[in-house]
Amino acid sequence: MNGQPELLKGLTPEETEKVLALGRRMTLTSGAELFHLGTKADTLYLVTRGRIKLTLPMQVRGREEDILVEERSAGQTVGWSALTPPYQFTLTATALVQSEVLAIPGDALRSYFAASPAAGCAISLNLAAVIGQRLQLFQAMWLREVERMVEARCA
Amino acid sequence: MEMLLMGACISVFGLAVACLAFGAATRTEERSPALQPQPQPAVAKAAAKARFFVDAVRIAPPARPRVPIEALLLQIENHVRLEQAAAESFLQAPTPALLHSRTISPLVN
Repeated sequence: MNGQPELLKGLTPEETEKVLALGRRMTLTSGAELFHLGTKADTLYLVTRGRIKLTLPMQVRGREEDILVEERSAGQTVGWSALTPPYQFTLTATALVQSEVLAIPGDALRSYFAASPAAGCAISLNLAAVIGQRLQLFQAMWLREVERMVEARCA
Repeated sequence: MEMLLMGACISVFGLAVACLAFGAATRTEERSPALQPQPQPAVAKAAAKARFFVDAVRIAPPARPRVPIEALLLQIENHVRLEQAAAESFLQAPTPALLHSRTISPLVN
């Protein structure tokens, strides 16, 4: 992973080291599932290598198929549901290629926030930026789909 | 007496004319429902024909090539990627033109 992960921007090198020390490295083979929709979210993941596919189930010709929602690569975060109630994953994450992630337990991270409020605040702001960016992206995608639906039905 | 007979004759003649008129009127009324069934089969035929053609169109929709499920899933994935790229372009420079920009996704073209 080149540079600081998006979640740890603004942290001092010492703070970054402390946060990274909370996690453990995990290697995922291509196609391996990192977490599943609806399960308990107790771990946050920083992608350090490879690509992670986030999917949602969709009915296609009567069959349930996992459809790509977005893709995360090195430096990006997946599983931020581990930091926000109700602590349940709302997507399924799978490795697209052989990948490596740093798994940070949500409890350990919250304890670190309590001990280092400044770092906690910076990480929370970074997390808000990640969530906000996803919200804006999906607002635009949703509007484009609605626009097409209206065009098709009311033309 | 002659006058009385003449009056009776005129009355009988008037009655006969009235009967004929009534008969004619009644025949006309009776004849019209009798005539109505003739156009009815034509209408029914027309209706039956119209329904036949409508049903035929509904039963046989224009033949569309059925894409294999694997190809369809790839198309959906490709569509999502293209849409995401278009949405990202909009977020980098928010303008109505970029928001409404078209992609080359086969699912929307």
